Amino acid sequence: MMAKTLEQLKLLTAVGFVIVVGQSFGWGIPIVDAIPGIILVILVSQTALILKEVLPMIKFPAFAWATIISFVLSMPFMPTQAWFLGTTSTVNFLGTTPVILAFAGLSVGNKLVQLKKLSWKFFVIAVAVFIGTFFGSAIIAQIVLKFQGII
Amino acid sequence: MANQKTFTKPLIVGFVTVFIISVISEMIGVKSFSVGIGNVTLLPMLYAVVMGILVTPDVLGKVIPPLKKVVTMDVVEAAGPVVMIALLPLGVKYGTLVGPNIVKIIEAGPALLLQELGNLGTIFVALPLALVLGLKREAVGATVSICREPTLGIIGDKYGITSPEGTGVLGTYLMGTIFGTVFFGLLGSLSLATGLHPYALAMASGMGSGSMMTAASASLAAAGPPEMADTVLAYAATSNMLTGVTGLYMVIFVSVPLVNKMYAILEPRIGRKGGSN
Repeated sequence: MMAKTLEQLKLLTAVGFVIVVGQSFGWGIPIVDAIPGIILVILVSQTALILKEVLPMIKFPAFAWATIISFVLSMPFMPTQAWFLGTTSTVNFLGTTPVILAFAGLSVGNKLVQLKKLSWKFFVIAVAVFIGTFFGSAIIAQIVLKFQGII
Repeated sequence: MANQKTFTKPLIVGFVTVFIISVISEMIGVKSFSVGIGNVTLLPMLYAVVMGILVTPDVLGKVIPPLKKVVTMDVVEAAGPVVMIALLPLGVKYGTLVGPNIVKIIEAGPALLLQELGNLGTIFVALPLALVLGLKREAVGATVSICREPTLGIIGDKYGITSPEGTGVLGTYLMGTIFGTVFFGLLGSLSLATGLHPYALAMASGMGSGSMMTAASASLAAAGPPEMADTVLAYAATSNMLTGVTGLYMVIFVSVPLVNKMYAILEPRIGRKGGSN
């Protein structure tokens, strides 16, 4: 467990490094200013990985754990809210995304052979699936939100 | 515990590649332009996924042999497990958007819950199309849901992954994995042209895939009214978490029976004669 945690922490640190340097270019946040923020983000991320490990009966992915911990720490009636939001604010929301998607892009590199074997029809159908699920949900949400008077 | 090294050579090459891609993506920055029907907002993450795919051995590696020597298939293999780790800082940032907006989210609870039923839209839109295109039982797997990992498991369990239904579910899964982020990254901002409210579109972005949700909602937040941006992201993240919890049961108890029912009704009427494909 300790060895695994250490390994994850190294990976998270490397990911954090890419985020901090990347966002200094994209969002003009000086690297030094972002260090306390990224350390806190890494610590919460690591806690999420540990929680997933020690609570396997709750079938939550680590991503959901990370959101839940940070959600609880930043709720309005929590004494931690100001500190947590303030410290993590130097890590830009969009700044965390290129590293994910670059890795995701790299990782599909071995699926392209399978893709070539598929009929073009699956592409057309997939587009219909994407549109169907997206607008199906959007239309229901629109009706309910209108009904509730929220929009 | 053997002294297994975390940073193997392929992983180091992977990180250096990702570092370069991230910096280039961030330097290009957010770009917005009009395409007639609406505005498209391109975010750095979109360039990152495209560049990530481009540098792999089967794409640019084929054309530029030296690249193939650097970004090898080992690098591709090493990149897979890092995605889950790299997603966590984003998860933390989502929490900081959901937390302060907790009251708004509870108020929107009914909408958030009911819009989960909208995921059945795939069956009504994509199944007829698949049948017209000549697919048979593959259509059941391909259109039962957006076909992320839980659906893959369910269909694999029920029909076997080598069955026609299994081929179908793998087809949509693969398309989503490769094109999903780019597709939703474009649709997110473009969908505003439909006149649907940004909050409704935000809830629709949560489909059970962290990267598709982020692509859709972040470009929606960037393109929509700035004062709504945080709420848009908070609704999207909450909806995605709900799909994570309810999605599996929804597919087992609602989507699979419904798609089979619809198939039985529609196939004799609009299905093509003869074999599949």
